[in-house]
Amino acid sequence: MAENPVIQVNQLSSGYENEVILEDVSLEIYANEVVAILGTSGCGKTTLLKNLIGLLPPFEGSVSLFGQNLTQLDEDEYYQLMRKTGVLFQHGALLNSISIYDNVAIPLEQHTKIPPFLADQLIYLKLQMVGLQKYANFLPSQISGGMRKRAALARSIILDPHILFADEPGAGLDPVTANNLDNLLLSLKQKLSMSMVIVTHEVASIKRIADRIVYLDNGNVLFTGSLQQAMQSDIKQIHNFFESAS
Amino acid sequence: MQIETIYLPASLTVMHSRELLSKAESIIKLREKPAQINLDFSDVTVMDSAGALSVHHIQHQCAAKNIDCRLHNLSTEIEHSLKLFKIGDADSFEAPHKLGFFERLGHLSYEVYISIKDAIILMANISYFTFTAFFKPKLRRRGEVINQGVQIGVNALPIIALIAFLIGFILALQSAAQLRQFGANIYVADLVAIAMFSEMGPLITAIMVAGRTSSAIAAEVATMTVSEEIDALKVMGIDAIPYVIIPKLYAITISLPILATFANVVGIIGGMVIGVTYLDLEVLPFFNEVISVIRYKEIFIYLLKSVVFAFLITFTGAFHGFRVKGGAEGVGRSTTSAVVLAIFLVIVADSIIGLLFYFEG
Repeated sequence: MAENPVIQVNQLSSGYENEVILEDVSLEIYANEVVAILGTSGCGKTTLLKNLIGLLPPFEGSVSLFGQNLTQLDEDEYYQLMRKTGVLFQHGALLNSISIYDNVAIPLEQHTKIPPFLADQLIYLKLQMVGLQKYANFLPSQISGGMRKRAALARSIILDPHILFADEPGAGLDPVTANNLDNLLLSLKQKLSMSMVIVTHEVASIKRIADRIVYLDNGNVLFTGSLQQAMQSDIKQIHNFFESAS
Repeated sequence: MQIETIYLPASLTVMHSRELLSKAESIIKLREKPAQINLDFSDVTVMDSAGALSVHHIQHQCAAKNIDCRLHNLSTEIEHSLKLFKIGDADSFEAPHKLGFFERLGHLSYEVYISIKDAIILMANISYFTFTAFFKPKLRRRGEVINQGVQIGVNALPIIALIAFLIGFILALQSAAQLRQFGANIYVADLVAIAMFSEMGPLITAIMVAGRTSSAIAAEVATMTVSEEIDALKVMGIDAIPYVIIPKLYAITISLPILATFANVVGIIGGMVIGVTYLDLEVLPFFNEVISVIRYKEIFIYLLKSVVFAFLITFTGAFHGFRVKGGAEGVGRSTTSAVVLAIFLVIVADSIIGLLFYFEG
């Protein structure tokens, strides 16, 4: 492992309004590793993800990304930092009114001043990486759910992020498409040398891509370690989780 | 042989590619072109996909101008990135292109043709089910006519009362000064009554209802279309037009004449306030004058207008609702278009009916 973690979470407590969802969560994520955050529904996976990408401020504790504490950043600094990250939302979160090409172009238009021909080539390259180069002019509503996720993935990697966050990448996809998406994520991780944080509760997906597992239970980190260690764990909840999936 | 060397910066990323490209371009475009350009990577520590594509672009530019482009001092990582971030078969990439004038004209004409065709089919369907669904209540959603009547009619009463009162008030106010000069104070009652019954009452009511209801119908139907509820009805063997649209049409057709009558009365009261306070008229003579001037023809016209407007408001809401494209953004677009078209059609229909009966005498 590298010495400096890419993400450092210290004694994080967070939630919505007065409801505490996460309590005293601490974890570290290092460069080039794929960490799966898992747990049963309602355990706080998505809340943790929202804290990691700064969409939800913590009640207590801190989240640092590339050594910068998210809560201490002003808006400009936050946006600068987020350029180094990519986020793949559960349903893709593509803008429905514009084409796949235009969706992928958004970060380039907003954050860079590259010439249009290079932007075209870059968009093509990223669409080619996710196998959607022939669908550039389609609207999100004209392609399938799996393709929408791949298009969203192309958008999230357009600026070559150092870390990619993915919220339930396989949710709503058939096993073959989910498998292909996982393989795509792995190949992109190798090509772009990214760290990846994946929120999921799909065991098949975890087995395919995770280097390390963070298991959440009722807003607390119950376990961190490799998949092998998790599967041999005698912690009841973890045992049940893997048992029920097999 | 002239040789130019470009020393690439330490960070060759999307943020720096512009400078690199313009530097390379300025050398390539020189009047006395160099025979060879060397790209020196000795300082480069970071290169992303945009950086790699920039290097490939410079190589292509050089090749096109018969300049020998050589890469020097490449680390293994940089070499790997250059191989990795290479565009494949560019022919399969359809970059978005702007449509030319005739293409746009063609698209627009086709859209208009499809819209007119859809409108005619929908109008025919609504007309057919207006009668058939009346005799077959099972085709309609149960209890929906009353529910819609409350939403469209009862809930619109306060705003229509306020607007109608102000319209009657302003009509009387604007005419009072002129009529007073000729001692024709009592004719303010005639003016307000005729204006409200023939024009302002049904028109203002229809515009208000179009704003509230046409948008609501379009939003509801568009959301149902986007979320596949209309398809779900279809596969259950239920036609969406009698089930969703016809109850609304019945509710509007009943509500609109009642609302227009209400608006007429309130508008006349608004005029009466000016008559009593400014023109020294008394309440009873004012109302006697109103009753004397209103003929069955005025009543028939405003009732006819209300029924026609009701059909148009329902039709535009349904038309834009069923034609929605895309997701949430499409719903918003349908709603706006429905309101604009409903108000436009109401005013056009008002003019046509007004003209028809004007020449009838």
